[in-house]
Amino acid sequence: MTAIIEAHDVHKHFGSFHALRGVNLTVQPGEVVVIIGPSGSGKSTFIRTLNALDPHDAGSITVDGIPLNGKGNLDAIRREVGMVFQSFNLFPHLTVLENITLAPIRVRKASRADAEKRGLELLRRVGIEEQASKYPAQLSGGQQQRVAIARALAMEPKVMLFDEPTSALDPEMIKEVLDVMKELARSGMTMLVVTHEMGFAREVADRILFFDGGNIVEDTTPENFYQNPQHERARTFLSKILDH
Amino acid sequence: MSLKSAAPRHPLLTTAAWVVGAVAAFYALFWLISFVLGQMPDPIGPRADLFVEGARTTLLLTLISGAFGLGVGALVGLARTSHLWLLRVPASLFIWVIRGTPLLVQLLFVYNALPAILESVGLNVQLNEFSSAVLALALNVGAYNAEVIRAGLQAVPRGQNEAARSLGLSGTQTMVTVVMPQALRIVTPPLVNNMVALLKDSSLASSISLLELTLAGSRVSSETFLPIPVLTTVAAVYLTLTTVMTLFTDQLERRLKVVSR
Ligand SMILES: Nc1ncnc2c1ncn2[C@@H]1O[C@H](COP(=O)(O)OP(=O)(O)O)[C@@H](O)[C@H]1O
Ligand SMILES: [Mg+2]
Repeated sequence: MTAIIEAHDVHKHFGSFHALRGVNLTVQPGEVVVIIGPSGSGKSTFIRTLNALDPHDAGSITVDGIPLNGKGNLDAIRREVGMVFQSFNLFPHLTVLENITLAPIRVRKASRADAEKRGLELLRRVGIEEQASKYPAQLSGGQQQRVAIARALAMEPKVMLFDEPTSALDPEMIKEVLDVMKELARSGMTMLVVTHEMGFAREVADRILFFDGGNIVEDTTPENFYQNPQHERARTFLSKILDH
Repeated sequence: MSLKSAAPRHPLLTTAAWVVGAVAAFYALFWLISFVLGQMPDPIGPRADLFVEGARTTLLLTLISGAFGLGVGALVGLARTSHLWLLRVPASLFIWVIRGTPLLVQLLFVYNALPAILESVGLNVQLNEFSSAVLALALNVGAYNAEVIRAGLQAVPRGQNEAARSLGLSGTQTMVTVVMPQALRIVTPPLVNNMVALLKDSSLASSISLLELTLAGSRVSSETFLPIPVLTTVAAVYLTLTTVMTLFTDQLERRLKVVSR
């Protein structure tokens, strides 16, 4: 089986700040990888290098066999990789359905009818088909995040990146988003998820990566990680989030 | 917030309907102004045609330089937000010069100095009063529009751009389908303000002997030695024009809100 993501010795600077310090990671198709770690450890920066929202400045990244180098093949990679943000980032001037059909129509050159049909299927999949003609501001946070997931899926990505998808949500809405993500994980989607939702990690993650100081310091299974974290930082971090 | 108010109303269609309505309204308005001024007693009534001619020039000057000013504002405003300094620096320089000098000086410069400058580099361009005024006013309002448009573009959250790019949209597609529609809502009220200000500022074109409303008034005033009724009439016509303009731009704003929310 060939890897879908291969990152070798990835570095990233913000000015003089060394945010990523030689990250290595190989992800197989269908794997669900949960990324945890203290704030500022480079989790967001790392997953944002995978679709070049933050271009890396040294090392190599290959997504589905396409090397991420400079400008040329950026669009090809972004079509393979869907991203879901903490703050949803839905387009407020477009309806829910238009949010979902925009990229398929503009980028994939799908017909409006096909894009809408597929968009409605995706909305059904995330459980909010009846909201199709509303505007994002008329939806709850949990509904908005589900629309954002449907919007990313509409491009039929091979990998989905999630950057703290439930951190901006009220507690009662977290479950509805996690349920959608679990369904997606079980359907075989390759997922990289930055989250501190331990229930989610335990239930569907194949691997846990622990980030600290701009690198992966632990890469193991959820069971191993919870029962027997190898690093002192991981141990203190775990005790903090489990205390909550 | 009901679903009904969100029902599809095509932006181009609504805008076209608005333009037709505005043109018709201004025709009716001019007919009304000529009729009312024609009924007035001596210093005004016999010279109603002159006032109406002046008002028509004022409105035409405002609309034409306003349209060019929007174009200038869009180009310079976009250049101001560019990451290429070759675009950004000239744009900033332009805004700095225009906003830092009086409009009256700019008008006099375009009318009196520009032809001589162009001649010295071998270009023989003769600009009449009207085109000189259009050029100066368009550049002037364009600089103010550029700042409004820059601020509007920058007011759209960065996450919008990131979401669009992560979906595979190109930079241009992101600008046109995601950033600009949101910026449009933000910039419309201040751009409208600039247009209304432009209508009043166009009175300065009287200084390069363009026979617009102000010059028409001051000619009649010095001919008849009756400044009070004449200048009151001039002011009343300006007020009518700005009021009707505001009524229509309020309409436009409301429509944009419905279509782009
Ligand atoms: N655009 C940026 N400019 C400057 N510094 C940044 C930028 N993005 C992230 N950083 C810095 O890089 C470090 C890692 O950030 P981030 O990847 O967001 O951490 P995490 O997601 O793990 O909380 C932080 O110290 C942050 O301040
Ligand atoms: Mg983060």
